[in-house]
Amino acid sequence: MLDVEKMREDFKILNGGKAPVYFDSACMSLKPDSVVEAMNDYYYNFPACAGRSSHKMGDLVTKKVKEARETVAKFINAKNENEIIFTRNTTEGINLLANSFDFKKDDVVLITDKEHNSNLVPWLVLRDEIGILVRVLPSKEDNTFDLEKFSELVKGVRLVSMVHASNLDGVTNPAKEIIEIAHKNNALVLLDAAQSIPHRKIDVKDLDVDFLVFSGHKMLGPTGTGILYGKYKLLEKLPPFIVGGDTVEYTTYDDYKMLPLPEKFEAGLQDYAGIIGLGEAVQYLSQFDFKDIAEHELKLNSYITDEMLKIPRIKIIGPKDPALRSGIVNFYIDGVDMHQIALMLDQMANISIRSGQHCVHSWFNHRKIKNSARVSLYFYNTMEEAELFIKNLNKIIKII
Amino acid sequence: MPCIIALIIFGIMGIFSASHRALAKEAFSCVFRRITLRPCNTGFQEKIKDKILSKLINRSVFLTKLVNKNYELLSWIFFVLMVGSMVWTIRGGYNFYVYGSCNGLNQSGFCAFDPKGENNKISEIGSTCGVVQKTEQTLTLDGVDLSSFPTQDVGSKDNVVFVGCYDCIYSKKAYPLIKKLVQNKKANLIFAHFPAKGDTESLSVIDYCVYKEYGDKFWIFNDYLFSDYAINKNNTNTILEKFGFDVKKINACAANSEIKSAVDAQMRELEKTNLFGTPTVFINGKAYVGPKPYRVYRSAINKFIFF
Repeated sequence: MLDVEKMREDFKILNGGKAPVYFDSACMSLKPDSVVEAMNDYYYNFPACAGRSSHKMGDLVTKKVKEARETVAKFINAKNENEIIFTRNTTEGINLLANSFDFKKDDVVLITDKEHNSNLVPWLVLRDEIGILVRVLPSKEDNTFDLEKFSELVKGVRLVSMVHASNLDGVTNPAKEIIEIAHKNNALVLLDAAQSIPHRKIDVKDLDVDFLVFSGHKMLGPTGTGILYGKYKLLEKLPPFIVGGDTVEYTTYDDYKMLPLPEKFEAGLQDYAGIIGLGEAVQYLSQFDFKDIAEHELKLNSYITDEMLKIPRIKIIGPKDPALRSGIVNFYIDGVDMHQIALMLDQMANISIRSGQHCVHSWFNHRKIKNSARVSLYFYNTMEEAELFIKNLNKIIKII
Repeated sequence: MPCIIALIIFGIMGIFSASHRALAKEAFSCVFRRITLRPCNTGFQEKIKDKILSKLINRSVFLTKLVNKNYELLSWIFFVLMVGSMVWTIRGGYNFYVYGSCNGLNQSGFCAFDPKGENNKISEIGSTCGVVQKTEQTLTLDGVDLSSFPTQDVGSKDNVVFVGCYDCIYSKKAYPLIKKLVQNKKANLIFAHFPAKGDTESLSVIDYCVYKEYGDKFWIFNDYLFSDYAINKNNTNTILEKFGFDVKKINACAANSEIKSAVDAQMRELEKTNLFGTPTVFINGKAYVGPKPYRVYRSAINKFIFF
């Protein structure tokens, strides 16, 4: 059982006089004090380079970065830490892969119709540049994954690149089945786990996923941090995307030798404070049983969903059943600019929710929906906050 | 429309506050887009609207709903009111600069720049003087013969007529400014003593005699009487002596019934102006009642207000 009040004590922002009701964790999670302290510790006490300077501080940074990598590897149950590439975020992870993979003209990449722009634009660019084919898998009527349709469309696909849990509606796609079917069809799978990894246990070995990308900032970690996981044998074959300092073993004026994984993908001086902070965030998350997090989020989501369904004009994106939507309630009202609701909630009760198209413009534009307002929950949210949100939402609904 | 209102309001507030300056810039961007026939895409209008609605909603849902539905219309109304208010304020500022009162020439209503109405204070002419109080609008020099009053004629096209009372504090306040004006602008000056206070009545006759007997030397005497010196019937001779006037000669002149008649005639001429208080200054025929700031007198002579 999750002790929410105790957990909230770990977040300075939730303990002040004007603590926000923060319902925007799908965009950015709050950071526990331990993450901030770990980063400060780097800047205050050993702000040196990793992997190159042989002094004590340099050694300490190298050690801390290695520990962070090991922590992340353990967290997702990777074979070893060399399968963990530090990136700036999920978008960079996908771009790294898109630009390193040896795509040829007419290679097919399969995506879903609910992809974040980060998992759509790189493929559209490659389509324009080298002529790959981008195939879009439509969701079912209720926005859930259509495994049957997937089985048809996956034929002849080189890479399946799809979201694990959608930031649009919180629906989690059946990754294990998807990967199994894809592999049977000789397709590799890249899973965008940005929205799923903060909320559920991900085991890359169990999933047998080929590539996995996620961001630190949605899982209690610092901004500007992310991970690209890849099976060692696959990553090893890929040429580096960005090269230069720290990616080579040696150079002459007319030759170079690349370093092995993971360094060959981590060009230039890294965000050591961020990496250390990310390691700390993963450590922090590791204390939880993800089932408790899911249970808590479902409790809040169920209450919010039930109350929202009492309001006739509100339409919830995705399935009505909150159990299928993780911690997300994304809603809209025909003819209403949802920015107004978000702004008013912020002004009235310091409630932070996201409004707009949530970087899934393609989905909104296809359905001619202007925008929506999204509540995204995490373990530090409380029932009192959910009640306050509903109370204020009801007030707003009366005036629009 | 709310953008324009916000631009003006935040523009003014931005002079004093950096945070409002940023809002003013945002409002400007919005206004610029609207002027160039593009939609305002900064979300600024919505932000302002939602801030207002958020404040209202806890007071009255009905009112909030009303504002939300009619926001554009209400914005227009506020815009018109704001423009009206600005025009009114600018007019007030102009009036204050040019006439010394926000409300216009010789208008004594409340003025924020002169809250105590110092620029309009006068020594009222009491009923003992036999003058019926007139309105500002009727003050005139038309048909008034001022030829017998002390005159400094420097051959200028600008004429200043100062009607004041020696024992009145507001006349004392205005007199040095008029002297300065006449000197700086090289204007002609006519002085008329109007005894708004009874115990200075005799000085009108003395004035007449001093000017008749000594001509321009009168002005030194006049300056002295408008200084802080306390005047009364008993010290007139002392003052006359102080400036080397022949006291006997002046007193004899003052006792002359013809002279008294001439002074009475002067008073009747002044009454024709519809005078109701001192100081009253006519500058090229336009009357300024009460002690105005120097810039007001100067503006009256300047061709283009400031120069």
